[in-house]
Amino acid sequence: MSLFKKNKEKIYTRYSSGAANVSVWKETLDKLQNPEGKPGVLDDIMVLDASLANFSGIVAASFFAEFGAEVIKIEPAEGDPCRKMTPYGRNVNGVGIPFMMEGRNKRYMTLDIENSAEDRETFAALAEKAAVVIEAFPAGKMDSWGIGYRQLSEKNPGLIYIAITPYGQYTKKAQEFVNFPDADITIQTGSGLSAQIGDFKTEPEPYNWPLKAGMWMGWYVSGISAALGGTIALLYRQSTGEGQMIDIAGMDAYSSMVGFPATIGYTWDKPRPRIGVLDFILYPYSHWRCKDGLVAIAAPRDHDFRALLKILNRWDLEDDFKFTPDRIPDIIEQAMELHREIEKETMKYTADELTAKALGYALKAARSKWRGGGVPIVMGVMRPEQTMQNPQWAIRKSFKEVEDEKLGKYVVTSGFAKMTESPPQIKWVSCDIGKDNEYVKTKYL
Amino acid sequence: MEDYFSYTAKLFDPAKIKEKPEVFKGLRVLDFTHVIYGPTAARILADYGAEVIKLELPFYGDLWRPATYWGRYWKHSNPIWHFVTQNKYFVSLDLKHPDAKDLIYKMAKEADIVLENFAPGTAEAWGVGYSSISKIKSDIIYLSCSTYGQFGPMRYFPGWDLLAQAASGVLSLNGFPDTERYYKLPDYLGDFVPGNLGAMSLCMALYYRNKTGKGQYIDLSQTDSMIRLLPHFTFKSVTGETLGRTGHNDPAMIAASMFKSRDGKILGVACATEKQFEGLCSAMGKEDLLRDKRFNDYFEALKEENAEALRAIVADWIKTKDCAEIVKLACEKGFAAAEVMNDPMVCEDEWRRERGSVILFNDEMYGEIALAGPSARLSKTPARTKWTARPLGYHNRLVLMKFLGLSERDMEALEEKHVIGSFDDRPGLKPPLYYHLDKDPIYNYGREVKR
Repeated sequence: MSLFKKNKEKIYTRYSSGAANVSVWKETLDKLQNPEGKPGVLDDIMVLDASLANFSGIVAASFFAEFGAEVIKIEPAEGDPCRKMTPYGRNVNGVGIPFMMEGRNKRYMTLDIENSAEDRETFAALAEKAAVVIEAFPAGKMDSWGIGYRQLSEKNPGLIYIAITPYGQYTKKAQEFVNFPDADITIQTGSGLSAQIGDFKTEPEPYNWPLKAGMWMGWYVSGISAALGGTIALLYRQSTGEGQMIDIAGMDAYSSMVGFPATIGYTWDKPRPRIGVLDFILYPYSHWRCKDGLVAIAAPRDHDFRALLKILNRWDLEDDFKFTPDRIPDIIEQAMELHREIEKETMKYTADELTAKALGYALKAARSKWRGGGVPIVMGVMRPEQTMQNPQWAIRKSFKEVEDEKLGKYVVTSGFAKMTESPPQIKWVSCDIGKDNEYVKTKYL
Repeated sequence: MEDYFSYTAKLFDPAKIKEKPEVFKGLRVLDFTHVIYGPTAARILADYGAEVIKLELPFYGDLWRPATYWGRYWKHSNPIWHFVTQNKYFVSLDLKHPDAKDLIYKMAKEADIVLENFAPGTAEAWGVGYSSISKIKSDIIYLSCSTYGQFGPMRYFPGWDLLAQAASGVLSLNGFPDTERYYKLPDYLGDFVPGNLGAMSLCMALYYRNKTGKGQYIDLSQTDSMIRLLPHFTFKSVTGETLGRTGHNDPAMIAASMFKSRDGKILGVACATEKQFEGLCSAMGKEDLLRDKRFNDYFEALKEENAEALRAIVADWIKTKDCAEIVKLACEKGFAAAEVMNDPMVCEDEWRRERGSVILFNDEMYGEIALAGPSARLSKTPARTKWTARPLGYHNRLVLMKFLGLSERDMEALEEKHVIGSFDDRPGLKPPLYYHLDKDPIYNYGREVKR
């Protein structure tokens, strides 16, 4: 890890050194480093998260909470089922790990809007004061209870109403699949992610199946989409006073965020096959085994590739793989041969040694008068526990140790964006069902 | 009261999108970014109406212009580039040329937002960083995109999506336990996720500026963005254990995994609640499982050995049914099941076409192409596609002459010094061969053209 410690700073890129003496830049960067005590952008709005059994609602609510909104989680007395969704059932006092992680800056109120008419009235009264409502019931359910967008927006025309479902609020299929629940894995399979991750058809089962991402990528992508859509609507509300309805379909999440499946499905006559560790556009752009684990290397431009061959001492490969078209994996066997040849060399070094070699080369290239110096870009493939130890993220305060009286001390990811004036922050964590019933009633009812 | 679905069909009618207002009308964005990460943040603002002026290096252009799948071009353009950079104004201007600076400063005076994703420090060194721009426009919102961030010991390390996936821990989580099989996330998610978070940060900064009059500087790293999504750090700090690769399984939900049906299709199945699990058991005709103490408590059912036993039961059942039968049962009984969708299935999906998730867009230059719709549908101020990508420098005359007031002679002088310049014969940079650029009034702004 010595590579990542701060000693004398080296500049590996061509033009960056010119900035080292720009004093205003330094001052700006200093300002980024301490988010504490800065104002929350959304400190003037209240958000009701009534989503149940759909983690993307929780994710969306978290982003509003990190930016300072008062977020009130509404759930029945037995709690949102999301509390129980946790790897291998691991929990603290009945609260699962993902829920603990997202329990940032939130208030908790118990209302059984599914079963109690009285609680629905309370919810409607709260919604009059809210800027944003998030819900994940089957499409039209809230409406049938008299607390959907149609009804709530009559009394609160500035309301932004985010509804999250697998197939959305309109179309024939949305109606037909109205009771179909949302899950991360079905977003991954149903919105195009799984089809592009996994191994060659020729590998044994089940390795040749489509795969899933090892995290809730589906739910996070739809949660981010909901929060982003909500923020855009908040800007419209800020200038016009008008609210609107936002429809998030989980099955859109991946395909609409990356866009490739729609366009490639149109311009090409067949699906992209799964190509294991290879990349379908860039090569080399992959990971290899090395002495102490795995190393990721990106050297796709021809001059980056030449630089890689130089640091690996494999100039003999240059002739066969000189140009991008020689390396793109339309001929799998050819691409895999290069992959194996590179691995012969990466196996001789540790990931840090390879990273240091690449940075050393970049240092020289950055000072070369020739534009085509090339930079092989290298990084060890870290496990999350290694990422946590990297001083880069300690300095950037990307993790925060938090403490809850019931759940004890634990670490959460924090402050994904560093902003000079109004950064996202974690002020507290809590997960107690109904903890803020009185607070909410006193303040809003 | 009107039926809910007929109400929402009107509320979100894709045919009415063009008539609706745009949130960011009049918002000016200077986009110095390239490849996918930065351009995505800017493109989202453009989708909602911002005027995004994308600056590229003359004769060379954005690195991603020629980067298409397996080197396959479509009408001499990179087909996937159209979605990544739709709705932008394409100006080719050599940022680091001293003569370009005046033009950039002039544009900055009218701009609300600037984005860049050069190596940290580069924009500052060229005099187009936050330090310089904030002097010209004091309330500017400036987003710097990078792999590791603008401060910290790794800031000058070069990086891309792949390296952010490696450094954040994301890459180490996809694959099969006890094997050497690891896979990166596909389709540059390490660019698209931070790109979306970049757009979100910009929107938050705009909201703040509207309230206080203050602009600000934003430092968003790809690695920080990917770290934000992982519960693995919390898991480690709470349990002291690590959560490695989980193959096809989701260890956090009941019976959640990928399975193979009788007709050889792969589908994902999961139960989010105990009620959904009842639905699955009823579909399988195995209600006795609900009384099995291995499965009748949520946390118990997720324990590794119990979850494995349950998945085996589900796998045996799915083997005996066709995929479509399972999905139909899931719909009736209320548990989640979805088949793996590949590119043509996504593109031709009737639901996506009706919803506007896949749009057959008819572009003036390129003709018909399928583009993904936005991932959020806003009823009053929806996102829309106005045009696809354009050749390098396509909007030079429009932007520099119309908006900045340059004369024909100024343009010639800039071209001569290579401060501006357009495409050459490389695909990805040039217009389609059949296209009559000489008859295009936008490309030829200020010149007489015959259509």
